[in-house]
Amino acid sequence: MKNRIISIKAIIAVLLVNAMIILSFSACLGPADKISNGSQPNNGLEQNEKSSGAETQKETSSDTQAEELPTKDPQGNDIEIPEKLNSIAAMAPAIVEILVDLGLGDKIVAIELASVGIEGIREDAMVFDMMAPDAEKLISLKPDILFASTISQLGGSEDPFKLLQDVGICVAYIPTSDTIDDIKNDIMFIAKATKTADKGRMIIEKMEKEIERISNIAKTITEKKKVYFEIAAAPTIYSFGKGVFLNEMIELIGAENVFADQTSWMSVAPEVAVAKDPDVILTNVNYIEDPVAEIKSRDGWQDMKAIKNDDVYYIDNMASSLPNQNIIKALWQIAKAVYPDKYGSYEKKD
Amino acid sequence: MQKQYILISMVVMRRKIKVLISISICIIVLLAGIGIGSVPISPADIFIILWSKLFGRAIPPKISDITVSLVWKLRLPRVLLAFIVGGALSASGTVMQSVLKNPLASSYTLGVSSGAALGAGIVIIFGITISILGRLTLPIIGLTSGLLTVFLAVTFASKIDKNMENNTIILAGMVFSLFINSILTIVSSMAKGHLERIVFWQMGSFASKDWISVIILACIAGVGIPCVIRFSRELDIMTFGEEQAQAIGVELKKVKWYLLALSAALTGSAVAFSGIIGFVDLITPHVARKLFGSTHRYVVPLSALFGGTFMVAADLVARTVISPSELPVGAVTALIGAPFFGYIYFKRRKKG
Repeated sequence: MKNRIISIKAIIAVLLVNAMIILSFSACLGPADKISNGSQPNNGLEQNEKSSGAETQKETSSDTQAEELPTKDPQGNDIEIPEKLNSIAAMAPAIVEILVDLGLGDKIVAIELASVGIEGIREDAMVFDMMAPDAEKLISLKPDILFASTISQLGGSEDPFKLLQDVGICVAYIPTSDTIDDIKNDIMFIAKATKTADKGRMIIEKMEKEIERISNIAKTITEKKKVYFEIAAAPTIYSFGKGVFLNEMIELIGAENVFADQTSWMSVAPEVAVAKDPDVILTNVNYIEDPVAEIKSRDGWQDMKAIKNDDVYYIDNMASSLPNQNIIKALWQIAKAVYPDKYGSYEKKD
Repeated sequence: MQKQYILISMVVMRRKIKVLISISICIIVLLAGIGIGSVPISPADIFIILWSKLFGRAIPPKISDITVSLVWKLRLPRVLLAFIVGGALSASGTVMQSVLKNPLASSYTLGVSSGAALGAGIVIIFGITISILGRLTLPIIGLTSGLLTVFLAVTFASKIDKNMENNTIILAGMVFSLFINSILTIVSSMAKGHLERIVFWQMGSFASKDWISVIILACIAGVGIPCVIRFSRELDIMTFGEEQAQAIGVELKKVKWYLLALSAALTGSAVAFSGIIGFVDLITPHVARKLFGSTHRYVVPLSALFGGTFMVAADLVARTVISPSELPVGAVTALIGAPFFGYIYFKRRKKG
């Protein structure tokens, strides 16, 4: 015992002191959440739970007039939505657009940076950073409900809106949808939560009608064109494979994504894109002046058939990246860009 | 006497064979670098394309336009750039290790990488473009700030130590390097939107590089590396020790200035065009010395050859392993290089 550098007694003493310190701090842990805490943000990101889907379907079939408020949000957390919603906080542009189309634009009291400029919101709506929101300021606005995208959980802290949950404000998390069906479920969830289910159904019916129109035309296409869609420009080019709604849209119009063998979003080495030699190149990059010209000017890309034939088009950024009903706008743009003879000629802005 | 002649000529022959083998491996790796990728291209096709482009002949129709584009505009400049960068960094590393008489010295010891990173970072954050330079604004400002940092560090060392002892130089380099790094950290943390681009640049990459970068770097390295070789004798003498070198007649301080400046120019330009790629400059001099002895007349050009070859191989791995995405080259060089180096270096230790 004597020869050991650290004696056992010392180790035990240190452990006991640490245990005492930790136990005394545990008293500082806040009261258990008012809402039963089913929210596990990290798990939700991977699972992309759509448990509300089954519930909303049950409700649609039984009662159309006085529909029950959803009890779970699309991420799978248990939530308690207040009966009256007069002030809504919407922490994602997709959600803001859905709310505006549901006629609830003037109830939105808080938005985030990317939503500034969307038509139909109040001028006095306060702007926050979706990745690092000032939770205290949000609470001071006293919203009845807060809709957020799970992207906010990727920021500095795991659950930036926890403070709001702690004071009893209902927080509903909506994971970014990967399929068009999930987008429809998101719209229905928000519609039911805000008691505007009928309007929600109208929006979805409109979407489905347009999708049907396009699918019918797509059925007549025998030779599928190869499409390469960029969502970020050089030097860090990004595209996507299957498992995202943009890929579904490309396939809906009767074309093929050159990276359909990949999954989700990924960075692309320029030479791989050149080797794929797509028929049409699309981009929804809007953070540089002229994304189409930038693509055409890339070294070594000039021999691609899409660039030789000037088949490089810009697709509206908001319509092609926000998972909501406005993807139809992008869907038509993509269709016209790829198959102008089938769907009509492409217009940059409509 | 006869026996000694035979032994010496055997050594020289073995050395010549080793050189030939090294050059052959280099050519094979270069061909692999051009040929392997998302679209495999056979060496025969590569030769046809190169021949046609260099002598203005038409390309046979069986080779598609895309393949020609891939080889001439995307892969060849990339491979050549990797080769030159690897060579420049290795030659520079050799110089640093010999001048500072420290086997762990690298071309980045004097702070050129920090300076270049800061210069590049500022260009990225503030979106600076100098009209005559256009796309070359970033590399040229990077090179300038790298050279400036080294100049400041070495001047500082020479002012506080009349003899410019090696320890002083190394310490001065470290001090400046850390100081500039901290400025870069502060600036980066205030411009979060550009953080990804800055970090990406620092990790090193040979993607999307055009022929102009290759030509400029080839000019700098084509002058710099022969200049270093010209100092081979002085470098050999310097390894005996500073006093001995001065006794023999080497103007120590002047030669040291020249060599450090050359090293900074080579490293600075390499870093400016491709980002900070470590490890190559550290290990290839050792590999060259182990295979060819310590004579700088051999070590400098051969470590450049090895460095270039290794860089091409590392870049090949970086762009094929997780296709369609790419790994940063700097990560791959250390990943492959460390075990490889450990094997070579310590295998010898065990025996001897």
